[in-house]
Amino acid sequence: MQQTVAAAEFLAACALSRVDAVSGFARDGLLSSQEVFTQQLVTGLSNGMIIALIAIGYTMVYGIIELINFAHGDLCMLGAYFALTVVGALGVDQWAGTGGMMGLVLVLVGTAAFCGSLNWSINRLAYRPLRKASKLSLLVSAIGASFILVNLGLFWGGLPMDVFANGTSSAAPKAFPALVSADPAAQIGDVIYSRTDLLVLCVTLPLMVALTYLVRFTKLGKAMRAVAQNPTGASLMGIDVERVIGASFFIGGSLGGFATVVYSLYNQTVSFQMGYRMGMDAFIAAVLGGIGNLPGAVLGGILIGVIRSMSDGYLEARWTNTVVFGILILILVFRPSGLLGAKLREKV
Amino acid sequence: MAISSKRITINLLLIAAVASIPIIEKFVPLGLHISDPMTDVFVYAILGLGLNILTGFTGLLNLGVAAFAAIGAYVFAISTCEIYPFQLGFWSALGLTMAAGALAGFALGAPTLRVRGDYLAIVTLGFGEIVKDVLVNMDSITKGTQGINPLPPPTLFGHELGGSGQYWLFMVFALVVAIGARSLERSRIGRGWISIREDELASRAMGIRPDHAKMLAFATCASLAALAGALTASRLSSSGEPGNYDFQISILALCIVIVGGIGSVRGVLLGALVMVGMNSIVLVKLTELMGGSDAAPPAALADAHGLQWAFLFVKTWAQNVLISPTNWKFLVFGLALVLMMIFRPEGILPARGAKEDAPDGDEGSSGASGVGGVPGGGASPVATKELRP
Amino acid sequence: MDELLGQTKDTDFVVTGLDGSRTRAGRFVSLSFRVMIRRTASIVAALTGAAFLLAAAPVHAVQDAPNKKLKIVSSLPQTGSANAQTTSIVNGIKMAIDERGAMVDGFKIEFEAMDDASPQKGNWDGQIESANAKRAIADPAVVGYIGTYNSGAAKISMPLLNKAGLVMVSPGNTAAGLTKPGLGEPNEPAVYRPSGKVSYFRVVPADDIQGAVACEFCRNDLKAKKVFILHDRELYGKGIADVFKKTAEATGVEVVGFEGIDAKASNYRSLVTKIRAAAPDVVFFGGTTQTNGAQVLKDLRAGGAKIPFVSPDGTFEKAFIEAAGKDSVTKEQGGVYITFGGVPSEMLTGIGAKFVKSYQAKYGEIPEAYAVYGYEAGCVLLDAIDRAETKDRAAIIAAVAATKDFNGALGTWSFDENGDTSVRTMSINTIEDGAFKFVRTAGGAAKAK
Repeated sequence: MQQTVAAAEFLAACALSRVDAVSGFARDGLLSSQEVFTQQLVTGLSNGMIIALIAIGYTMVYGIIELINFAHGDLCMLGAYFALTVVGALGVDQWAGTGGMMGLVLVLVGTAAFCGSLNWSINRLAYRPLRKASKLSLLVSAIGASFILVNLGLFWGGLPMDVFANGTSSAAPKAFPALVSADPAAQIGDVIYSRTDLLVLCVTLPLMVALTYLVRFTKLGKAMRAVAQNPTGASLMGIDVERVIGASFFIGGSLGGFATVVYSLYNQTVSFQMGYRMGMDAFIAAVLGGIGNLPGAVLGGILIGVIRSMSDGYLEARWTNTVVFGILILILVFRPSGLLGAKLREKV
Repeated sequence: MAISSKRITINLLLIAAVASIPIIEKFVPLGLHISDPMTDVFVYAILGLGLNILTGFTGLLNLGVAAFAAIGAYVFAISTCEIYPFQLGFWSALGLTMAAGALAGFALGAPTLRVRGDYLAIVTLGFGEIVKDVLVNMDSITKGTQGINPLPPPTLFGHELGGSGQYWLFMVFALVVAIGARSLERSRIGRGWISIREDELASRAMGIRPDHAKMLAFATCASLAALAGALTASRLSSSGEPGNYDFQISILALCIVIVGGIGSVRGVLLGALVMVGMNSIVLVKLTELMGGSDAAPPAALADAHGLQWAFLFVKTWAQNVLISPTNWKFLVFGLALVLMMIFRPEGILPARGAKEDAPDGDEGSSGASGVGGVPGGGASPVATKELRP
Repeated sequence: MDELLGQTKDTDFVVTGLDGSRTRAGRFVSLSFRVMIRRTASIVAALTGAAFLLAAAPVHAVQDAPNKKLKIVSSLPQTGSANAQTTSIVNGIKMAIDERGAMVDGFKIEFEAMDDASPQKGNWDGQIESANAKRAIADPAVVGYIGTYNSGAAKISMPLLNKAGLVMVSPGNTAAGLTKPGLGEPNEPAVYRPSGKVSYFRVVPADDIQGAVACEFCRNDLKAKKVFILHDRELYGKGIADVFKKTAEATGVEVVGFEGIDAKASNYRSLVTKIRAAAPDVVFFGGTTQTNGAQVLKDLRAGGAKIPFVSPDGTFEKAFIEAAGKDSVTKEQGGVYITFGGVPSEMLTGIGAKFVKSYQAKYGEIPEAYAVYGYEAGCVLLDAIDRAETKDRAAIIAAVAATKDFNGALGTWSFDENGDTSVRTMSINTIEDGAFKFVRTAGGAAKAK
């Protein structure tokens, strides 16, 4: 019951967009076990939504050309560097009020466009020549692309800009300015709903809705589903298969771009090696849900986020990876095609 | 399929050339230090050959082969190191390691027979992460990230082998594994594996039992990977830390197999030479050639304008990262992989018939759906496609 | 049409599957192998040739004057995120050599910085470390090996170099077991000394001192009654965290949590909730910038745990402040305190201060914390070569071991019988206005045992 009230209050807080902390920060008493649980759930959902958005990029590409796009996580990493550069170029201090909001939208859209185009180009340069080669060659090409992107991230970190600490240590993690502060948007009891949690929700949900609409109700979406089901058949029906594949890469990449900005604002750190974990989490999320299946990717992402959070909170953090992968393996052993993979045949 | 005498001659010549590297190094003081990285090449060749059996012959994508190497290294370490009560010798520990590896292979293979294609790949990947974490976290047994040392060096008839001795021993190991893999490929078992890769349902119809064959492939792969892990551990005299057997090593092994030519034993040997050689010989030499460079004081960017600013910006950037050759390693490595795949997707030395295989590109997920289902089931072409996940 | 169908073989999969494999079997037999053989041979020949050429190229330099030339090598992880720290160590070594005009006793001193990290790992790699050690051993001109940065890597090269009788001076290894009997595994440090002699020396104080000092600081200065300990599960981080825990338990500070983190995780918010629920006075993090120390700090602040954050010298580098950002390190947010085995660059006096000044002049920035250790390692080694007056490796080991009352950048100090430095001065530092600020020194009196 308390949860319901808490949720209602949170929604009210969202509607008002900003509510100052209800009570004084860090109340004297300890968190009650119920508050701990709620807080862990909030953390898990926020992380999970970000993972889900990245997972969609994996699952779209997989659904269409059956490639595990190893470069996707590193693409997102470059997106974060791009966003940081834009923020640096516009000036870190200019992010308050309406102007700040506009700037934020600009960074989001710009990064999405950047990641989308980059993903499209990678497809063009590294994957398209291999359309007729074996799937494993394609996989190695993706691994190679991922190495290249990681190295570009390393180079990027050496730019002599303030946001990169003048680039003197290019390999070090970079602080991403807290454009959206981590202050509480609302605090109910001792459970903190931070403004970054709110941001995650505000960015990811509309995008997921928009994507669902795109895939289900537009002509491009129809073409994508057709190509996913049978590329030969689709091309016989007059669908330009390569164009559809390119579009999927662009859309998947730009969702990754949105996700990476949210990720950077949420964690406030970017590093050229962060792509590995971003990619890995998203990838297992996509497989957990049934790779090639869009709702599956979202479900998988949220599950991974919540499982991680609960395992950190109630077990030991050092066993979290084991728990996540253990659950993944169990699910795959008993449901070999993921949670939603068998029920929904459509791949995109 | 008789082996021509010419082929044998060439093979022998190649082996002799490789075997003579330590001797050449000893007597021709050129300061080449390639026998040491070459020993690594042999270890990776064994790892690659093991993976080739599972991924190349049987068509099961494994992204966690490093886990088996880790199991090998740790079993070897625990059974030999002086701080544990077992203290076996080199050879008996090696035997135990391979048996343990095979067991681990069964342990992973048995429950995952139903899982196929890329789903199997992620199960193996998860297995790799779990093994790594368990090794770190069970630190009362495995010493966590400390690694276990010292371990006995390779011996032969009671003699400890030095650098060259290890080189030749490891070369013989790689050769024996290569010849073994070759013979297996042509045996009844090997043909069974290949037929499963090509078409599981059809091979079942021909009387092959896919479950048995797959389990055997898993066990062989794991056992060879464990051997590779144990050999490295013995050579380094340390099990290394669990983090040394991470996803990157699995990826390197996979690249060795695919760059060399998937399914081709000679290809894998060459792949190991190219991939490991690129890392430990070419890149290292390149770094030496280019030399390190001193960073100059950062220019005063704030005072500059226009073109001068752009010039200074690029110059400072270059000084920050671009001039150091170590910062280019990932790029060179990745570019080589991509170019390689674009211009020679079937690998340097493709397996026979690989060109014919290439277009279908479906090794990972064979057309059959559901092992437990009725074979065939009168599936029409379209229905088959739809059944796939 | 055929081509199109060829792309997707599954369209008619049962019949063609059987048919197809039969066709392929036929081709197996009919294929001529000659082409294949020729191709193999030529590719192998070309590759071998290329490797030889590459390998042979830089050799000429070594052979010019074989007798009057000595070489010092370093082996540090220069690919990956430790890069800034290791680069400044290398710079420090170079400066030590340059100060003597690259000449000692009529020997020309050459220096090579080897990288013991691989791009695949982005961190130190045992195989490369072993290869580096072997390469140094094989080169008769090499008389000194400066390394390693990571204690785990040292475990691999120490026995190799010891057996070969090549002196090793580490600017960065702090794991106690490497030199001190009774603090690591039962067989340590004897396992690293197959020859029975001490050939490994380090110019940094070991972790057993640092963990205890950090705990004393929490108890005395921060008045902590309850601590939550995090560590990165690595040799260095967990080692210090273990010492910290032992000291805390011995001195009556309650340890309300002891957790190993996943150094690659994207954030630690869930862990922070756990920490908030345990309500400690201080969080101690045993780890480095590379193992995500800054992220832990940031998440503590974002999660509302505004209590002091204490960490060891693995985070005592500018990269940590850069990664943590300005806001999370301030005193209002709880404050950050970092222990360091020595005093920070700015607080160095005498030779040390001179070093920092000339480093700044040459490289345009204040050196990272470990740079001075690189410099000191170089100086000690050159000094020993000077006293040994020979290129005999055994004599140089003896000369390094005999280092007594050495007047260097870290003060006046000696090596003890284990190869440890007598320097025991630790410093506590905090962060103010985006820069490290010295708080006070702390003696190495308290020892965890």
